[in-house]
Amino acid sequence: MSAYIASLVSVIGINLILALGLNIITGFCGQVSLGHAAFYGLGAYTAAYLAKLGAPLPLTLLAGTAMAGAIGIVVGLTSLRVRHDFLAVTTMGIGFVFLGFVRKQKWLGGELGISGIPGPGLDAVPYALLIAAFAMAVAALSLWIKLSWMGFTFDAVADDEDAARTVGVNVSTYKLTAFGIGTALAGTAGGLYVYFARIILPDTFDFVQSIAVLTMVVIGGTGSVWGVFASTIALTLLPEVSRAAADYRLLIFGAMLMLVMRFSPGGLAGLVHRRRPA
Amino acid sequence: MLFAELIVKGLVYGCMYAMMAVGLTLVYGLLRILHIAHAGVFALGAYMAVTVTNATGSLAFGFVIAAAVSAVAGIAIYRLAYQPILHHSAFVPMVVSIGLFIVMQEGFRLIFGAYGIAFDDNPWYVAHVDLAGISLTYVEIAMVVMSVVLLVGFGLFAGLTRAGIGWRATVTDPQMATSFGVDPVRVRYLNFLFGSALAGIAGGLVGLLNNYVEPTMGGAVSYKALAIVVLGGLGSVRGTLIASLVLGVVESFGAIYLADIFDRDAIGFLFLIVVLMVRPQGLLGRR
Amino acid sequence: MKKSVIAATLAAALLLAGNAAAQIKIGLHAPQSGPAAADGKSSTIGAEIARDWINDKGGVLGQKLELVTYDDQNKPDQAVPIANKLIGQDKVMAAVSCSYSAPTRAAAAVFQQAHIPYVSAYGVHPDITKEGNWAFRGVQLGPPQGKGAAKFIADKFGKVKVAMVTMNNDFGQSIADGFKEEAPKLGLTIVKEYTFGLGERQFGPIVASVKADNPDVIYAIGYYFVGGPLVAQLRAGGLKQPIVGAQAFDSMKLMEIAKDAAESVYVVGGMDRGRKTPADFQPFLAEFKKRAGYDAEAVAANCYSSVMLVADAIKRAGSTDAAKIREALAAAKDFPMLTGPLRYFNSVGEIYSPLEVTQVKNGAFVGVGVIDEPSILAPPK
Repeated sequence: MSAYIASLVSVIGINLILALGLNIITGFCGQVSLGHAAFYGLGAYTAAYLAKLGAPLPLTLLAGTAMAGAIGIVVGLTSLRVRHDFLAVTTMGIGFVFLGFVRKQKWLGGELGISGIPGPGLDAVPYALLIAAFAMAVAALSLWIKLSWMGFTFDAVADDEDAARTVGVNVSTYKLTAFGIGTALAGTAGGLYVYFARIILPDTFDFVQSIAVLTMVVIGGTGSVWGVFASTIALTLLPEVSRAAADYRLLIFGAMLMLVMRFSPGGLAGLVHRRRPA
Repeated sequence: MLFAELIVKGLVYGCMYAMMAVGLTLVYGLLRILHIAHAGVFALGAYMAVTVTNATGSLAFGFVIAAAVSAVAGIAIYRLAYQPILHHSAFVPMVVSIGLFIVMQEGFRLIFGAYGIAFDDNPWYVAHVDLAGISLTYVEIAMVVMSVVLLVGFGLFAGLTRAGIGWRATVTDPQMATSFGVDPVRVRYLNFLFGSALAGIAGGLVGLLNNYVEPTMGGAVSYKALAIVVLGGLGSVRGTLIASLVLGVVESFGAIYLADIFDRDAIGFLFLIVVLMVRPQGLLGRR
Repeated sequence: MKKSVIAATLAAALLLAGNAAAQIKIGLHAPQSGPAAADGKSSTIGAEIARDWINDKGGVLGQKLELVTYDDQNKPDQAVPIANKLIGQDKVMAAVSCSYSAPTRAAAAVFQQAHIPYVSAYGVHPDITKEGNWAFRGVQLGPPQGKGAAKFIADKFGKVKVAMVTMNNDFGQSIADGFKEEAPKLGLTIVKEYTFGLGERQFGPIVASVKADNPDVIYAIGYYFVGGPLVAQLRAGGLKQPIVGAQAFDSMKLMEIAKDAAESVYVVGGMDRGRKTPADFQPFLAEFKKRAGYDAEAVAANCYSSVMLVADAIKRAGSTDAAKIREALAAAKDFPMLTGPLRYFNSVGEIYSPLEVTQVKNGAFVGVGVIDEPSILAPPK
């Protein structure tokens, strides 16, 4: 594997973890989040901060995951308080508040971010394989959740919260679980990113990043593990194969988003299954 | 003195937010869509105002065209992008709206260039009057006057005319209104027409205010407008107006006194989140 | 599936590879799409002018110079694969970043590991050169720029009170850090520092507060597109104090936006547009305007000069061997950059170059002085 392929595999793996994590929140449990990048950033900042202090990779990854998941559960609490559409704007707000806060923290490097992060202790190729292994594990976890009792319950909550409540589902617990797992995974992705890029700046975790992850989920088909898996790989490689059309890339990206929703709201997966619209 | 000036500047920006946010609220009240592409309409209005004014030399003509083109764009967005997918969950139109906003933003960049454009002749954004030690530029005064005139005009229309009453009835109870002979589709068109024209005019005014129009200019304003709409209690016009002014003032103070902890864009959302935790339905929303 | 993707990628790379006769390859990455596309476009045009002029004069070492350019979208996670691709597939001999700090810093680590010389044309993050000795910077670091501004203000206006208005990003913060370090030493008083986001265009609250502070001089650090509205709004607020701007004020768009309000604004690190030296400066301004349709700004000049610098190093090395090119770069002396002469690179690859101070007079940037004091401008090691 060349270094170029290894770096592509790394980026794909990180995006897969992000997208599959958001898929658990938005796809499985039906809670719209426009602030996923904030949790990605939380994981990254936690891991980078600890790595600079000399903590080894397993510890920084774990800490990044735990921090993002813990804050994720707190944010999940708002989903219990506010209506559906409010949640979209609230999570968007979380993203802006995270960024606005981090920018101003001298101890987190402020606008200069954190750099000079030690390497992962692995060469580029083994590290790419490690990221790929994490991504596979997350895909397996997603499939397991989807097919388990928890998956059915998530489905019920997503479909009709009140009905789920009537049949005795503890809606709050399940929502918080979905938020916890999804955001913790974003934290893991953040930790892995830190050793890959070796520099983090606040702007890496902005609203545009949240939208990019949401796009991967939506185009794949919200709730479909294989759909999200395929669309994440395709969208990550798109810039690689379309470098000649660089000027039109974002335009095509936006148009795709519109057209997919217009003609197949179930995304790629919807094209395959022709299921009921979610 | 500083306090008074901060309040005044905050109210000016609040008027701009109001012109943006009212359109969003109208769309939400009627269709339950988070119309993010409204920001694209705002930028479209700004581009029209600059290019037409520069080409013809008439600012008034530039603004008329800006309002008209924005209104047509709004109607087209409803007809082509939203109407076919209204039967899906709210999530679907929201994603379409995000896609549309990206397309518009990139379209502006490709057509008008990545660098922004400015009015050839714009003396009004530096020329100013001093009122008791507070300086206000002519554009800032125009912003306040225009928003008051347009929004009061709209209020009168909604309260006094037959079409306006039909519109309000449709927002409150679409089925009941239909049974009384109000055409809900016409109300929707009216809605996008008015809201989009308002956003286009606001875009033109912001173009004058900064003397700079750029592809990404809709972004920050629209995210804040969304926060305002939620803050006001989604769908409540009165709540939106109050929230706009409140946010303008809160930001104005925040930019000076909170700048060491949060940047200005975060302040509005921080305020929103705090309010929602206390009043999940927003300032004036109903549960 | 994956194989076909790789094949398609290779095909795209081949398409871009172009002229088969070209032998000297320099890699380049710039943000060409998305919100940062404006600077990416200018810098790419600047670099292409350098390439064409080099080739018109017979190329480098008798061979044609080729630029292999990729769009990094201003993202580190794009820059790392691009750097690997430039090294592994395109086999470039050296690379130039015409991009901002984040992608540049991420790519610098990759080039360092592969031992490929790398020049950052305008990324100001202090850590870009810290990865090792293969990275160089073709622009003054933020802190020396800020110190230079303090020196200029102290020399010009004496021991005055200064209000700072700083943009929230790495460019703003690193320049502000240098200014705040040097200002007290020179007897300046900083009354207050205001900060604003990159997307901010409305400065009403800041203007009101600056008015209350009543400073003698206002020092504004930001890009021209925030500088334009800021300057105009300061004047509209009735503030008549001198305004000193940072390097990124240097764009003709500043005057287009702020019109008469831009008059008499100082820019520390700007370019005197009437300057006759170096010999290629005026032709560059003309050629850029012809190709781009608008006037060149500092980023375009930085990228032009960085490509010229690398080509010059290859010539002096007399070889395409990476280690020799690196040595030649490190040994560069008195190279005529468009933004000012490169006196030398220090041991970590930071440039020493005097700072030009310009002032807007009748809608044009006119030179009013040069700061060339090693004690102020010497780059940190």
